[in-house]
Amino acid sequence: MARRFPHAVYGQGEEPDARFSLANERTFLAWIRTALALLLAGVALEALDAPIEPSLRLTSALIFVGLGLLAIIHAWMSWARTERSLRLQQPLPGRAVGAIIVSGAAVAIVLIGVGSWLV
Amino acid sequence: MTAIADPGLQPERTLLAWRRTILALALGVALAVRYVDLGGPAIALAVGVPALVVLAVAYATTTVRYRRVARDLAIGEGEMPGVGGAVTMVAMIALVLGLGSLLALVPAVGLTP
Repeated sequence: MARRFPHAVYGQGEEPDARFSLANERTFLAWIRTALALLLAGVALEALDAPIEPSLRLTSALIFVGLGLLAIIHAWMSWARTERSLRLQQPLPGRAVGAIIVSGAAVAIVLIGVGSWLV
Repeated sequence: MTAIADPGLQPERTLLAWRRTILALALGVALAVRYVDLGGPAIALAVGVPALVVLAVAYATTTVRYRRVARDLAIGEGEMPGVGGAVTMVAMIALVLGLGSLLALVPAVGLTP
Protein backbone atom coordinates (compact mmCIF):
# COMPACT_ATOMS: atom_id res chain seq x y z
CA MET A 1 0.00 0.00 0.00
CA ALA A 2 1.35 3.44 -0.88
CA ARG A 3 2.01 5.67 2.08
CA ARG A 4 -0.45 8.54 2.02
CA PHE A 5 0.11 12.08 3.26
CA PRO A 6 -0.41 13.08 6.02
CA HIS A 7 0.63 10.03 7.93
CA ALA A 8 -0.91 11.46 11.10
CA VAL A 9 -4.29 10.96 9.42
CA TYR A 10 -3.86 7.91 7.18
CA GLY A 11 -1.51 6.05 9.50
CA GLN A 12 -4.26 5.54 12.04
CA GLY A 13 -7.24 3.24 12.16
CA GLU A 14 -8.88 1.55 9.20
CA GLU A 15 -10.26 2.53 5.83
CA PRO A 16 -13.68 4.11 6.40
CA ASP A 17 -16.65 3.94 4.03
CA ALA A 18 -15.51 5.85 0.96
CA ARG A 19 -18.70 7.91 0.95
CA PHE A 20 -17.81 9.43 4.31
CA SER A 21 -14.32 10.34 3.14
CA LEU A 22 -15.76 11.91 0.01
CA ALA A 23 -18.30 13.84 2.08
CA ASN A 24 -15.46 15.08 4.28
CA GLU A 25 -13.61 16.31 1.20
CA ARG A 26 -16.68 18.16 -0.04
CA THR A 27 -17.09 19.82 3.35
CA PHE A 28 -13.48 20.98 3.23
CA LEU A 29 -14.00 22.38 -0.28
CA ALA A 30 -17.20 24.14 0.80
CA TRP A 31 -15.34 25.83 3.67
CA ILE A 32 -12.63 26.97 1.24
CA ARG A 33 -15.25 28.50 -1.06
CA THR A 34 -16.90 30.15 1.94
CA ALA A 35 -13.53 31.58 2.90
CA LEU A 36 -13.05 32.96 -0.62
CA ALA A 37 -16.45 34.66 -0.45
CA LEU A 38 -15.53 36.23 2.91
CA LEU A 39 -12.18 37.44 1.56
CA LEU A 40 -13.89 38.87 -1.50
CA ALA A 41 -16.44 40.69 0.68
CA GLY A 42 -13.65 42.28 2.70
CA VAL A 43 -11.58 43.33 -0.29
CA ALA A 44 -14.60 44.56 -2.28
CA LEU A 45 -15.70 46.89 0.52
CA GLU A 46 -12.47 48.82 0.18
CA ALA A 47 -11.68 48.26 -3.49
CA LEU A 48 -15.07 49.45 -4.66
CA ASP A 49 -14.91 52.43 -2.28
CA ALA A 50 -18.31 51.60 -0.82
CA PRO A 51 -20.11 54.70 0.54
CA ILE A 52 -19.68 53.80 4.18
CA GLU A 53 -18.08 55.71 7.03
CA PRO A 54 -14.38 54.92 6.45
CA SER A 55 -13.29 53.57 9.82
CA LEU A 56 -16.34 51.33 10.11
CA ARG A 57 -15.84 50.18 6.55
CA LEU A 58 -12.21 49.24 7.17
CA THR A 59 -13.16 47.48 10.41
CA SER A 60 -15.80 45.46 8.58
CA ALA A 61 -13.38 44.65 5.81
CA LEU A 62 -10.78 43.45 8.31
CA ILE A 63 -13.37 41.33 10.08
CA PHE A 64 -14.37 39.65 6.80
CA VAL A 65 -10.77 38.98 5.81
CA GLY A 66 -9.99 37.71 9.32
CA LEU A 67 -12.98 35.37 9.18
CA GLY A 68 -11.85 34.19 5.75
CA LEU A 69 -8.42 33.29 7.10
CA LEU A 70 -10.04 31.56 10.07
CA ALA A 71 -12.25 29.57 7.72
CA ILE A 72 -9.23 28.38 5.73
CA ILE A 73 -7.41 27.15 8.82
CA HIS A 74 -10.60 25.55 10.08
CA ALA A 75 -11.16 23.88 6.71
CA TRP A 76 -7.81 22.10 6.82
CA MET A 77 -7.88 21.15 10.50
CA SER A 78 -11.44 19.95 10.31
CA TRP A 79 -10.67 17.81 7.27
CA ALA A 80 -7.72 16.15 9.02
CA ARG A 81 -9.52 15.63 12.34
CA THR A 82 -12.68 14.32 10.73
CA GLU A 83 -10.79 11.91 8.49
CA ARG A 84 -8.90 10.59 11.48
CA SER A 85 -12.11 10.25 13.53
CA LEU A 86 -13.71 8.35 10.64
CA ARG A 87 -10.76 5.97 10.51
CA LEU A 88 -10.80 5.43 14.29
CA GLN A 89 -14.60 5.26 14.41
CA GLN A 90 -14.72 8.01 17.00
CA PRO A 91 -17.21 10.86 17.35
CA LEU A 92 -16.65 13.62 14.82
CA PRO A 93 -15.03 16.85 16.00
CA GLY A 94 -17.23 19.80 16.98
CA ARG A 95 -18.51 22.66 14.90
CA ALA A 96 -18.00 25.67 17.16
CA VAL A 97 -16.00 27.54 14.53
CA GLY A 98 -19.08 27.79 12.32
CA ALA A 99 -20.91 29.74 15.02
CA ILE A 100 -17.92 32.04 15.47
CA ILE A 101 -17.75 32.82 11.78
CA VAL A 102 -21.47 33.48 11.49
CA SER A 103 -21.39 35.76 14.56
CA GLY A 104 -18.40 37.63 13.22
CA ALA A 105 -20.06 38.12 9.85
CA ALA A 106 -23.19 39.40 11.61
CA VAL A 107 -21.11 41.95 13.52
CA ALA A 108 -19.46 43.11 10.30
CA ILE A 109 -22.82 43.46 8.59
CA VAL A 110 -24.17 45.53 11.50
CA LEU A 111 -21.12 47.79 11.25
CA ILE A 112 -21.79 48.22 7.54
CA GLY A 113 -25.38 49.12 8.26
CA VAL A 114 -24.42 51.68 10.88
CA GLY A 115 -21.65 53.03 8.65
CA SER A 116 -24.00 53.45 5.69
CA TRP A 117 -26.43 55.36 7.84
CA LEU A 118 -23.69 57.62 9.17
CA VAL A 119 -22.47 58.68 5.74
CA MET B 1 -26.27 -8.57 -10.30
CA THR B 2 -24.95 -5.22 -11.45
CA ALA B 3 -23.46 -2.90 -8.87
CA ILE B 4 -25.76 -0.17 -7.59
CA ALA B 5 -25.36 2.98 -9.72
CA ASP B 6 -25.15 5.21 -6.63
CA PRO B 7 -21.45 4.56 -5.87
CA GLY B 8 -20.60 6.59 -8.97
CA LEU B 9 -22.56 9.65 -7.89
CA GLN B 10 -20.53 10.46 -4.80
CA PRO B 11 -17.18 10.60 -6.61
CA GLU B 12 -18.79 12.71 -9.31
CA ARG B 13 -20.19 15.18 -6.77
CA THR B 14 -16.79 15.32 -5.15
CA LEU B 15 -15.05 15.86 -8.48
CA LEU B 16 -17.42 18.72 -9.29
CA ALA B 17 -16.81 20.25 -5.86
CA TRP B 18 -13.04 20.11 -6.49
CA ARG B 19 -13.49 21.69 -9.90
CA ARG B 20 -15.55 24.63 -8.77
CA THR B 21 -13.25 25.23 -5.84
CA ILE B 22 -10.17 25.16 -8.07
CA LEU B 23 -11.86 27.53 -10.53
CA ALA B 24 -12.80 29.91 -7.71
CA LEU B 25 -9.20 29.87 -6.48
CA ALA B 26 -7.87 30.48 -10.00
CA LEU B 27 -10.20 33.46 -10.32
CA GLY B 28 -9.00 34.75 -6.95
CA VAL B 29 -5.35 34.42 -7.96
CA ALA B 30 -5.99 36.18 -11.27
CA LEU B 31 -7.76 39.07 -9.50
CA ALA B 32 -5.01 39.31 -6.91
CA VAL B 33 -2.27 39.40 -9.54
CA ARG B 34 -4.18 42.10 -11.40
CA TYR B 35 -5.16 44.31 -8.49
CA VAL B 36 -2.84 43.98 -5.50
CA ASP B 37 -0.24 46.71 -5.59
CA LEU B 38 3.19 45.44 -4.61
CA GLY B 39 5.16 48.11 -6.39
CA GLY B 40 5.30 46.31 -9.69
CA PRO B 41 4.17 43.08 -11.33
CA ALA B 42 7.25 41.03 -10.43
CA ILE B 43 6.23 39.66 -7.03
CA ALA B 44 2.60 39.14 -8.00
CA LEU B 45 3.58 37.19 -11.11
CA ALA B 46 6.27 35.23 -9.26
CA VAL B 47 3.62 34.00 -6.83
CA GLY B 48 0.59 34.01 -9.07
CA VAL B 49 1.90 32.14 -12.10
CA PRO B 50 3.18 29.12 -10.13
CA ALA B 51 -0.10 29.13 -8.19
CA LEU B 52 -2.07 28.96 -11.43
CA VAL B 53 0.16 26.16 -12.70
CA VAL B 54 -0.38 24.22 -9.47
CA LEU B 55 -4.13 24.73 -9.81
CA ALA B 56 -4.10 23.54 -13.42
CA VAL B 57 -2.21 20.39 -12.40
CA ALA B 58 -4.60 19.87 -9.49
CA TYR B 59 -7.56 20.17 -11.87
CA ALA B 60 -6.14 17.50 -14.16
CA THR B 61 -5.08 15.07 -11.43
CA THR B 62 -8.39 15.48 -9.62
CA THR B 63 -10.27 14.34 -12.71
CA VAL B 64 -8.05 11.28 -13.00
CA ARG B 65 -8.38 10.51 -9.32
CA TYR B 66 -12.18 10.50 -9.26
CA ARG B 67 -12.57 8.46 -12.39
CA ARG B 68 -10.47 5.88 -10.60
CA VAL B 69 -12.44 6.18 -7.37
CA ALA B 70 -15.73 5.75 -9.22
CA ARG B 71 -14.41 2.63 -10.92
CA ASP B 72 -13.04 1.20 -7.67
CA LEU B 73 -16.34 1.76 -5.88
CA ALA B 74 -18.28 0.13 -8.71
CA ILE B 75 -16.17 -3.01 -8.60
CA GLY B 76 -16.00 -2.84 -4.81
CA GLU B 77 -12.29 -2.87 -4.22
CA GLY B 78 -9.28 -0.67 -3.92
CA GLU B 79 -8.04 1.73 -1.31
CA MET B 80 -9.10 5.35 -1.63
CA PRO B 81 -6.22 7.46 -2.91
CA GLY B 82 -4.83 9.89 -0.37
CA VAL B 83 -6.04 13.45 -0.84
CA GLY B 84 -3.96 15.05 1.90
CA GLY B 85 -1.57 16.50 -0.67
CA ALA B 86 -4.30 18.11 -2.76
CA VAL B 87 -6.16 19.31 0.34
CA THR B 88 -3.01 20.90 1.72
CA MET B 89 -2.09 22.60 -1.55
CA VAL B 90 -5.58 24.05 -1.95
CA ALA B 91 -5.51 25.31 1.63
CA MET B 92 -2.09 26.88 1.10
CA ILE B 93 -3.16 28.69 -2.07
CA ALA B 94 -6.26 29.94 -0.27
CA LEU B 95 -4.03 31.09 2.59
CA VAL B 96 -1.85 33.05 0.15
CA LEU B 97 -5.02 34.70 -1.18
CA GLY B 98 -6.02 35.47 2.39
CA LEU B 99 -2.70 37.11 3.14
CA GLY B 100 -2.94 38.98 -0.16
CA SER B 101 -6.37 40.22 0.88
CA LEU B 102 -4.93 41.45 4.16
CA LEU B 103 -2.20 43.26 2.23
CA ALA B 104 -4.79 44.81 -0.04
CA LEU B 105 -6.43 46.36 2.99
CA VAL B 106 -3.34 47.97 4.39
CA PRO B 107 -3.71 51.60 3.29
CA ALA B 108 -0.01 51.92 2.69
CA VAL B 109 -0.13 49.11 0.16
CA GLY B 110 -3.50 49.93 -1.34
CA LEU B 111 -4.97 48.64 -4.56
CA THR B 112 -3.91 49.41 -8.11
CA PRO B 113 -6.61 51.52 -9.75
